[in-house]
Parts: sequence; C-alpha cells; structure tokens
Amino acid sequence: MANYVVALFLGVSFGFSLNKAGLTKYNKIVNVFRLSDLAVLKFMMTALVVAMIGLYGLRGLGLITFPAVPATYIVGNVIGGLIFGIGMALTGY
Amino acid sequence: MKWLWNQIKKEEWSPYAAGILLGVTGVLAVFLSNKLLGASGAFENLAGMIGKGLHIAAFDNTYFNYVMPPGITWGVVLLVGVFFGGMIAAFTSRTWKLRLNSDEQWKRVFGKKIWVRWVLAFLGAIVLEYGAGIAGGCTSGLAISGGMLLAPAAFLFIAAMFASGIATALIVYRRRY
Repeated sequence: MANYVVALFLGVSFGFSLNKAGLTKYNKIVNVFRLSDLAVLKFMMTALVVAMIGLYGLRGLGLITFPAVPATYIVGNVIGGLIFGIGMALTGY
Repeated sequence: MKWLWNQIKKEEWSPYAAGILLGVTGVLAVFLSNKLLGASGAFENLAGMIGKGLHIAAFDNTYFNYVMPPGITWGVVLLVGVFFGGMIAAFTSRTWKLRLNSDEQWKRVFGKKIWVRWVLAFLGAIVLEYGAGIAGGCTSGLAISGGMLLAPAAFLFIAAMFASGIATALIVYRRRY
C-alpha cells in the first residue's frame, strides 16, 4: 500500500515536470524532430545525467540495488524505436 | 519561499530545470520502490485487464500472461499520478483549460478540423504504443529509465526513435520543414 502512495507522488512529480517543460504540447514534441526546438532533448538528457549521477552514487554507497535493467535485443529495440518515432512525430505525444 | 512560489507559478520552466526534477524523481523511484519510471507498460496492464475481463481469446498469450500481466500495477498508479501532476502544474500556471485542439502549429499543417486531430491522435497513439511494446518501453520507460542505468537498449531506441521521427516530420512538413 505504501508503495502505491509513493507511486502516486512520484507520478505527480513526473507529470509536473513534463507539463512545466512544455512537453504536453504538440509543437514541442514535433519540433524536436524538425530540429527547431530542442527542449525535449535538453529535458531528456538533463534527466538522464542527473539520474545517472544519483543512481550510480547511491549504488556506490551501497544504499540501493538496481531494479531489472531493460533488456537489450538489438533488432527489437531498433524496430520498436522506428515504429515508435513515427507515432510520436504524428501525434506529438 | 516567495521566490520558490513564483518559480512554481511560471508557465514554462527551462528544460534543464524540469529535467533535474525528473532526474531526481527517477532516482527516488529506485530508492523508495526499486522501480523504474514508465508509462507505456501501464497501458498494457490496463488493456490486459479489459481483454481478460471480457474473456477475449486473443489475450490468452505469453505476452499478457507473463511479460505484461494485467492488473493495477505500480506503473498504473504512477500513470494516475502523472495525470494529476500535469493538471496541478497547469493549475499553478493558470493555463488549465479543456481544449479539443488548440495547437496553432497543428492547424497550420493539418487544417482547422478538430476530428482530424482526434483521429490522427488515436491512430498515431496505436502506432506509438505498438512500437513501445516491441522495443520494451517508451520514452520514459526505456529511453530515460533504461538510459540512466546505461542499458544499451535505451540508446539504440533513442537513435531509432529520432531517425524515424525526423523522417516522419520531413514527410508531414515537406517544404515547411
């Protein structure tokens, strides 16, 4: 139960950051593919770098263990990504 | 305090500031629940619940039985939170409003008809979710959550997503690209 409360709060924080970065708008998402507004990339890469430092730091201190890392199966990841990109550029989600 | 509240009320943050918030959220998800943030998986959990509830034979397969078991999972609760988080953010910046389609750029490219937006959004979202299902995650579940654990899958996915996204945008926008 406590886990679900945590999930709800983390979700709120996740949705809040997406909205404030403007990623809930069609033009923000599609313009990253037109290379005219790179906010999506800046947002994603900042989140990646911050989380990498945090996660590897905490693991180094022995405070966390990593959950199951998403599986790498090259053909599936790439084909899935190609299909995903079409949908993302069409809808702006 | 006043400074903080003024920042919260701002409609649009620097993407770097919002990215830091998401990064911290991602770390907290692992620290507090040993889970990764994600969105597309939750839709599969819910779709599985509906399919199994209606006893549709097509849902009785390995994918829905073992890979993405149906149910109100941690990810589904997270997704509910995302909905309210986005809403709270819109309330704080006083931009919350029910809209059918308000995007000026969309209207310039596809015209003013609202149903075109809705139909394309519906079909495009199916394509998007299907791709996410094959790849093993979406922008959040695979690209960001996998990337922060340095999973090779995440970087393959990001590269593929941008390749086809740019190609699609080129086709949609043609000379206006």
